[in-house]
Amino acid sequence: MIPPPLLARELRKDYPMNGETVHALRGVSLRVDAGDYVAIVGPSGSGKSTLLQLLGGIDAPSGGAVEILGTRLGSLSDRELTRLRLTRLGFIFQRFHLLPVLTARENVELPMAEAGVAGRERRARARELLAYVGLDHRADHRATQLSGGEMQRVAIARALANRPALLLADEPTGELDAATGHEILALFRQLNADGTTLVVVTHDERLAAEAGRIIHMLDGTIRD
Amino acid sequence: MTLLREHLGFDSVPASVNLCALCGSVVIFSGMMPARTVARALLIGLTFAAPGTPAYAQLPAVAVERRLAEDLALRVGDTVRLGTAPDSMRALATVGAVYEPRPDPAQITKSERHMRMHLPDLAAILGAPDRVDRFGVGLVPGTPADSAVAALERTAFGYQAHASSAIASESSQTFIVVSRFHRAIAVITIVASAVFLLCIMLLKVEERRMDAAVMRFVGVRRRTIFGALLLEAALIAVAGSMLGTGLAFAAGAATNAYYRRFFDTALVFSLITPGIVFFSVALSLGLGLAAGAAAAWRLVHTRPMVLWGRR
Repeated sequence: MIPPPLLARELRKDYPMNGETVHALRGVSLRVDAGDYVAIVGPSGSGKSTLLQLLGGIDAPSGGAVEILGTRLGSLSDRELTRLRLTRLGFIFQRFHLLPVLTARENVELPMAEAGVAGRERRARARELLAYVGLDHRADHRATQLSGGEMQRVAIARALANRPALLLADEPTGELDAATGHEILALFRQLNADGTTLVVVTHDERLAAEAGRIIHMLDGTIRD
Repeated sequence: MTLLREHLGFDSVPASVNLCALCGSVVIFSGMMPARTVARALLIGLTFAAPGTPAYAQLPAVAVERRLAEDLALRVGDTVRLGTAPDSMRALATVGAVYEPRPDPAQITKSERHMRMHLPDLAAILGAPDRVDRFGVGLVPGTPADSAVAALERTAFGYQAHASSAIASESSQTFIVVSRFHRAIAVITIVASAVFLLCIMLLKVEERRMDAAVMRFVGVRRRTIFGALLLEAALIAVAGSMLGTGLAFAAGAATNAYYRRFFDTALVFSLITPGIVFFSVALSLGLGLAAGAAAAWRLVHTRPMVLWGRR
């Protein structure tokens, strides 16, 4: 039996703040199967971004466990966790976070280069991915020469570079205008239709409406 | 064979210029010359004739320093009157040569002007042929200086002979100390620049916190980020070294041009040798890389979430 791309059990996250403990997550459990498109919504401070960080292995939970394709993140060393993020997960950020000194193609190639993909193969895949997100004509432009929507599409192509099992997106339309946001919505729909598993944290009701499943969060818990 | 330094007054007869008030330092040499003093000594064995001036054809010849010749508008063939005091300008001589003295750092701030003549001619002017106390000896190429020194000291009681290299070394001590002082200043400057560079690198790295966090999130290893930052520091250091070297050569050329003109000399005031360039570039690269490594190490050992600005 193939384990699910994502399984979270009783996740808790506590922060010390001004001598008190803030409970950002209070026992969140979640399962995402292959091909799912999950939107996590909720007001600011509800814990949705914290949940995404724990699911992506970029922060450690105070309690509970996260499994990616059956691998428990808490059992991995920093190096193994880094490798897992590189090969199994794709991240999309609200503010794109492309490396400004690199071109669009180089930004897409970066995770593949880190994964040891040969130069010719990664160049071909970068071209393919940029064509997929509709930016093959902008491949040799630096990130700073791209519009917000174009940067987000390059970021999506970068997230897909190593064929991840799970794509995690944190407010991917948060910095975009309505028209550009629509383009990203369409791209996410296409990604999911092509078999990509998506977990998206968003305030954008249109984006949430596209998802097959919506998880509502409030005060660090899931309120379905 | 004597080398004597004496102040004389002289004037130029053809030019009818009264030069008695002008005193020049005259270096006289007769005999063999050591290599180091060739430029300061009268050319031996040459006889000078004043062309077109039969009345002065048998006059002794003197060699006049270029600056002195320019000051007094003297040319080869001119006749000058020499003496030990303004009221005793009795000896006549012809200008047999105008020479460019070897650049000497010890002389550039002095206003002395030199001329050279055969020792017997000087002795005749002075009326004191036994006052010469120093002279130089030129050696046949290949002759060991030490054995020549020993031979000279055996020649007569009271001789003290010194190899020119020993004299040069002794007279260069001041410049060696100055050179070390300059090197110390240069090293301190470079080290201070490296501290500045470290601050710049730390600030630049601070600007990269978010980029570094994102790279860590997408799975880029610490050593890749460290290597990239180190490479950037190396490129900055190389570019800075190249720029610094170029500036140093330009500043050196400007310094030489200015002071050569100011002192009317061929001395090299600013000398940038390959050794100096190598030392400076190596030091800059080393310090630049160290600064980059320190900044990069600090960055990659900060938790990504802290870089992200969350905690």
